[in-house]
Amino acid sequence: MRKKILGLLCIGLAWQALPAGAAGIEGVSVSGFLTVGATYADKQLVGGTAPTEAVSQDGTIENTPGFTADSRLGLQISAKVNEDISITGQLLAKAREENSNVEADWAFINYRLSEQFTTRAGKIKFPTFLISDYYEVGYAYPWIRPPQEVYSSNPITTINGVDLLARFRFGDMSLLVQPYYGVSRGAQALVPQEAVTNTNYSLCFNGQTPGSFYTCPPGTILYTDFTADALRGINVSLSSDIFTIRAGTLKTKVNVPGFGVFQDDVKFSSAGASMDWHNVVLYTEYFEREINGRANSAFPNQKGSYTTLGYRIGKWLPHFTTARIKDNENPVGGMFDGTPLDQKSKTLGLRYEVGSGAALKFEVQEVTPKEGTRGLLIDEPINAPKDPGDDVMIYGISLDVVF
Amino acid sequence: MKTLKQVRATLFLLVLWAVSVPAHAALAIIVHPSNGLSGITADEAADIYLAKAGVFANGKRAIPVDQAANSPARKKFYGAVIKKDDSALKVYWSKLMFTGKANPPRELVDDAAVKSWVAGNPDAIGYVDGKFVDSSVKVLLIIP
Repeated sequence: MRKKILGLLCIGLAWQALPAGAAGIEGVSVSGFLTVGATYADKQLVGGTAPTEAVSQDGTIENTPGFTADSRLGLQISAKVNEDISITGQLLAKAREENSNVEADWAFINYRLSEQFTTRAGKIKFPTFLISDYYEVGYAYPWIRPPQEVYSSNPITTINGVDLLARFRFGDMSLLVQPYYGVSRGAQALVPQEAVTNTNYSLCFNGQTPGSFYTCPPGTILYTDFTADALRGINVSLSSDIFTIRAGTLKTKVNVPGFGVFQDDVKFSSAGASMDWHNVVLYTEYFEREINGRANSAFPNQKGSYTTLGYRIGKWLPHFTTARIKDNENPVGGMFDGTPLDQKSKTLGLRYEVGSGAALKFEVQEVTPKEGTRGLLIDEPINAPKDPGDDVMIYGISLDVVF
Repeated sequence: MKTLKQVRATLFLLVLWAVSVPAHAALAIIVHPSNGLSGITADEAADIYLAKAGVFANGKRAIPVDQAANSPARKKFYGAVIKKDDSALKVYWSKLMFTGKANPPRELVDDAAVKSWVAGNPDAIGYVDGKFVDSSVKVLLIIP
């Protein structure tokens, strides 16, 4: 991977060198974004024989001040090859992976066919939701992290493939129709706690005794590799200076070797709208996910939604979000039927513009899983060894910069 | 005909420049002399500068060029034509740049650099302080 990235950078630099000699008409632009964030959750959820500070299901938000949940760095190079062709590469390093795993989040060739049509080929992020293609660019949205009840539901964010951007203008409005097709390789998904502790799956490998597996203790954080084939979808978005309305759907077939999953059907549908009008800021989205076969054990059928309302006062944007994820008529009782996650959350946030190109954000979030379930947490708050209750408070502060 | 128009525009600008205080100098939106258009609206110019349109009203390719951030010409242009504040603009471009959809216009150091770049590029559009206008470029709009 690193070599690939170096190669990409070299190509970028080589292109920079070329037109510089040719009167410097078009060059290379380098830009980037950085988020530094800190989080704290008010209680420890997993006690017993294997206590852990982890609170969020991926363990990055803990009952101790932490810096890995939101911190990340992105670096982008784009170069014009000629008037109609350009290349873009975006490298992403996340603190949650100890910045040791630099990935090319985007790496594509852009070909402008006409004023209305552009096609892109390579590694691209596709728009499952309103902001999924700029999810990593914290500066571009109000929250510290977009509502997880919706945004955590699709672990596939990039494809190797092609898309088409067809743009049509009607007065002040513009319509974007974006079909895409590709495959996803090397993606990882979090193994839900229900599957970690389920004796049907022997997920933890005992390195001491080759060939022996055992059920992991609650609180074990495991990721599984998976691939998605024939991923095809379409995104339709109508926007003006004031609002954006979008809807989209995608289908794919997933393979999860760790779970014996092979070519299981996945279907995703979502719709949403955003508005920024007279200092009133609104975001609202809804999704449904349906996953068949054995894959359902790790990715059950879910639906979810959120609404954010904010009001801009000069450099300040206070906002409030309610969000919910719940069961989407998931089958029950079968050996490979997963456990749908169910939680509500309320978030009070504040964004402050620090000059232009930087934003400071504060958030207080109350996460309430459905009674008897853990929601998107690592365990039920009611099981907290100290101070058991129905909910967990998560505090966050972040600085988002673009350059 | 064209030359006459240009002379008229230039004279008009000179008059404007003469009667206005330097801090409120008129701004001229300029293109290459071969550009077939005789004028442009502020909204059309804004669409080109925000990458909403990649072409002029006549369908010809449009390549915008900006002045340096914090230059008086840029402040005036963005205040009068684009009508977005700095933060809103940064958010707007972040969404387009980091999704590989568009990049902001290329930035040049000053009025003279913009004028000579526009004079050398048939697809170009730029803006300069009125006093920099001469026959090497064509004025499409004057922002008093």
